[in-house]
Amino acid sequence: MTVTENPMGPAADGGAGDAAPPENATVMADLRSHLRKSKAGISGLIICTLFALVAILGPWLPFIKDPAQQSLPDKLTPPIGWGGAWSHPLGTDQLGRDILARLIDGARISLLVSLAAVIIAAVLGTALGLIAGYIGGKIDTLIISAADVQMAFPGVLAGLILVAAFGPSVWLVIVVIAISSWMVFTRVGRGLVFTLKTSLYVEASELAGASSRRIMWRHLLPNLVSSLITLSVLELAAAILSESAFAFLGFGVQPPRSSWGLMIQEGRNYITDGWWIVTFAGMAIAIVVLGVNLLSLWLQSFNDVAEREQIILERPGA
Amino acid sequence: MLRWLAKRIIAAALVVFVVTTLVFVVTHIFTDPATVSLPLEATEEHRANRRAVLGLDRPLSVQYWDFVSGLVVGDLGESFWQSQPASKLVFQRLPATLKLVGGATVVTVLLAAPMGMLAAWWERRFADHAVLGFSMVSISAPPFWIGYLLIIVFAVQLGWVPTFGSSGFVSLILPSVAIGLASAGRLAQMTRRGIVEELRKPYAVTAMSRGFSRSYTIVHHTFRNVASGFVTMTGWELTRMFTGYTVVIEVVFAWPGVGRLAIHAIENRDLVLVQAAVVVLATLVVVTNLLVDVARRLIDPRVDLA
Repeated sequence: MTVTENPMGPAADGGAGDAAPPENATVMADLRSHLRKSKAGISGLIICTLFALVAILGPWLPFIKDPAQQSLPDKLTPPIGWGGAWSHPLGTDQLGRDILARLIDGARISLLVSLAAVIIAAVLGTALGLIAGYIGGKIDTLIISAADVQMAFPGVLAGLILVAAFGPSVWLVIVVIAISSWMVFTRVGRGLVFTLKTSLYVEASELAGASSRRIMWRHLLPNLVSSLITLSVLELAAAILSESAFAFLGFGVQPPRSSWGLMIQEGRNYITDGWWIVTFAGMAIAIVVLGVNLLSLWLQSFNDVAEREQIILERPGA
Repeated sequence: MLRWLAKRIIAAALVVFVVTTLVFVVTHIFTDPATVSLPLEATEEHRANRRAVLGLDRPLSVQYWDFVSGLVVGDLGESFWQSQPASKLVFQRLPATLKLVGGATVVTVLLAAPMGMLAAWWERRFADHAVLGFSMVSISAPPFWIGYLLIIVFAVQLGWVPTFGSSGFVSLILPSVAIGLASAGRLAQMTRRGIVEELRKPYAVTAMSRGFSRSYTIVHHTFRNVASGFVTMTGWELTRMFTGYTVVIEVVFAWPGVGRLAIHAIENRDLVLVQAAVVVLATLVVVTNLLVDVARRLIDPRVDLA
């Protein structure tokens, strides 16, 4: 189930001695054949790629209107199918701005903020996990206690107090999401290091006189990568949801910039005569998070060797 | 057991202490309640005045001692915005939040346990896939959006329930569902996985080979063995609710709870009140974790919780 429980990835088969890592090409081929068998993986990958492309290409996409352009005569135009026209496929908001254009514009902020937060959390958390697991002793106690306290002091509470103290900003949201997620990487990384630490190749390089830094960087970290990537994807789903919640509460980007959570906040006063604002903005969040979750489900099953074998065994020739 | 409990309580108290200290560091060293409460264009003189009124001109160590000794007796400072003790304001709102979390927990358990069992019963068949689909969608949709969808459908279109506010049992339904769906999704998958694993164990295989049906075995044999995990997971979901979901859902449904109080306090630049709300919610999280550990230990004494 959770990533903590399976010492996954290369560690599982490369644990005995300093075996040569499987060639990159075989890994990729393996990944591809596995992906072909997994509908969840394919749908997740398609959704994520699509949203990433839209977020990157945003302003250069054809037929997309200016997300900031107001037009009061067109305000609260319903979407196509509910009396709308192709000029505004998903309708307009209370100021006559095109919902589709605003969704695409909002994708940038929403995804960029979450991605940045997860990257910070992953780098920081993994570094601390490596140190805690490999060095051990008092440093380990300190780091793991900090992680335990962080578990009891979840992100939203930290967010409330930080926003109250410093006022809302995008940077603050990135920091808050990062500090509510680093300990996950620390705990998993530390756990994996514990199992790897006693393997022959680590002991061998210790005997050969390699420095702790070299062992952590060159020998331990590469074996953590696949598990940590899986974990990052899982955390990304949580981060996108957190970002939307913070934006909804008004803690993140401020108008006129837009993000999906902010669109819901702005549209909530119009749910009786403009239900589409809230509905489509939330749908964008739900679909992208679903995509990330599907991708993470697939990565987990791929990393979990036992389950992977089961899938291959149960669906011969699929 | 008693020794274990004492140790566990001390550890929990330590966590509360560290969290409150962190809160103090943010609210008194990085900034201070006087600066936050004043508009940006306030003069230095204004600030100094207000610091003196709030006692913020004293040495930090004195302020910290005041803060900690106040916490012990339940004094969380004076709310600037409401000119009332912050603890009184927070505790007035606490029952509403607890009611909401209680309602959400009922929704979670009532949905998750049967769905998990059904999915395990029809493993890899339609019901299993349907439950998986429900879980994936419910954990992917933002709870506040679910809240608005429920309002649009059941309050605006159908008019079955009131849109906002807390007026009796009926108004509790929509917010509880909005919070509970995601938790139910996670918990259902965990239950299904647990039961499927248990069903492969010899005792379950024996039970079924003696002629008990699969459903009877699930309900009477395997579910008891996943109960410990079920309680733990429910506890985790509770802590999630206390900290994340209730705040946004209280805003969506204009629910008079602690989370919405904190948001209003932020809007009114009342740092002391925000601090009080955060300290109370964090304490609730720690207490919930403690209770979960105790419950786990009572259900399954084999669990060694060092």
